[in-house]
Amino acid sequence: MNMEELEERFSAKKFWKELAKGIILTNPVFVLVLGLCPTLAVTTSVNNALGMGAGVIFVLLGSNFIISIIRKITPGMVRIPVFIVVIASFVTILSLVFEAYLPPLYESLGIYLPLIVVNCIILGRAEVFASKNPIIYSIADGLGAGLGFTIALIIISFLREVLGTGSLVIFGKQLFSIPVISTSPLSIFIMPPGAFIIIALLMALFRLIGVLKNE
Amino acid sequence: MARKETGNSFNKILQNKFYPIIFLALIVFIAVVLLMYVNNITRVKILEQREAKIISQLKNIFPDMDKYELKENIYIILKNGKTIGYSFIAKGKGYGGEINTLVGINKDFSIKEITVLSNSETPGLGTRVTLSSFTDQFKGLKSADVVLSKDGGKVDAVTGATISSRAVTDSVKKELDKNIEIIKKNNY
Repeated sequence: MNMEELEERFSAKKFWKELAKGIILTNPVFVLVLGLCPTLAVTTSVNNALGMGAGVIFVLLGSNFIISIIRKITPGMVRIPVFIVVIASFVTILSLVFEAYLPPLYESLGIYLPLIVVNCIILGRAEVFASKNPIIYSIADGLGAGLGFTIALIIISFLREVLGTGSLVIFGKQLFSIPVISTSPLSIFIMPPGAFIIIALLMALFRLIGVLKNE
Repeated sequence: MARKETGNSFNKILQNKFYPIIFLALIVFIAVVLLMYVNNITRVKILEQREAKIISQLKNIFPDMDKYELKENIYIILKNGKTIGYSFIAKGKGYGGEINTLVGINKDFSIKEITVLSNSETPGLGTRVTLSSFTDQFKGLKSADVVLSKDGGKVDAVTGATISSRAVTDSVKKELDKNIEIIKKNNY
């Protein structure tokens, strides 16, 4: 694709549309129900959610960008291995950088950082969008899906951390603490069942918004 | 005209039956080169971070240490070239996975202090084995006393987290006995 084509086809409206759809209309967690494994596992604290979200946004932007660039020369037969190699490269870069410069976050994300490779949100966006659309919209799509995922993680982890521990700690600083809850925390929300309950309630809420919008 | 021709020959390449193989190999090659480059940049920093982490953890237990030597998984803690204690990592099987505990011992093989480095225990319950209210109980204990009090020792388990407490206590005792043997045998 040359520059003339790029300018000719670019429309700001479409760019924002592709970006916005990932946040609410096709939110990866609440509407598409993708990537639930990391969602359940890392949402025990807002801090982890922010780290995971930033990581996924980086990988999605990178992989959508590269896959869109090579979409016309990628043979259909080997497209999935190509996507996986591209995604795995970005994830490895991310995990090396996190280990070198953000060791506490690297440790708390643990196994879920390398597992971004198999996060179906990323492969999904590559297959459904980036491999068929121009670069600029693929970036918008990646950013939208990444932001949607991050926002979902933040909402879930905020509820879980506040209900389960009674306080909110971000980057080692305690932002606030609710006396009633922190003396006898509702530990179930920090544990896996709490994640399912919170995610189910939020999913119902998103469905409701979707139904109301369609009417 | 010229443009059309290049377009045609490009299509020919795309249709070649070996093209997918070559393309995938090329992508993998580029990825490998890129990762080698990133690895080269971050490697030194990562090693520094790991080293700094070990030293800071050892310093928590032995504040006046200046150096350490690693032999057979035992950290020999030195001050002005003289041994002031030993340290090692004990791995125990907890409720949610492995619990790693750093154990510091004095030259007379009594425990100086223990720190839980990593665990996957239930937050708010099993994770309380990391608190000083639990770990402080180990201070000064000899190997024979490193047993939960309900099993006849001197360590009180965290309420509601017996499995986690036992994992820490048992792994510390096991490693302690093993490493005292090694230290005595090799005269470290």
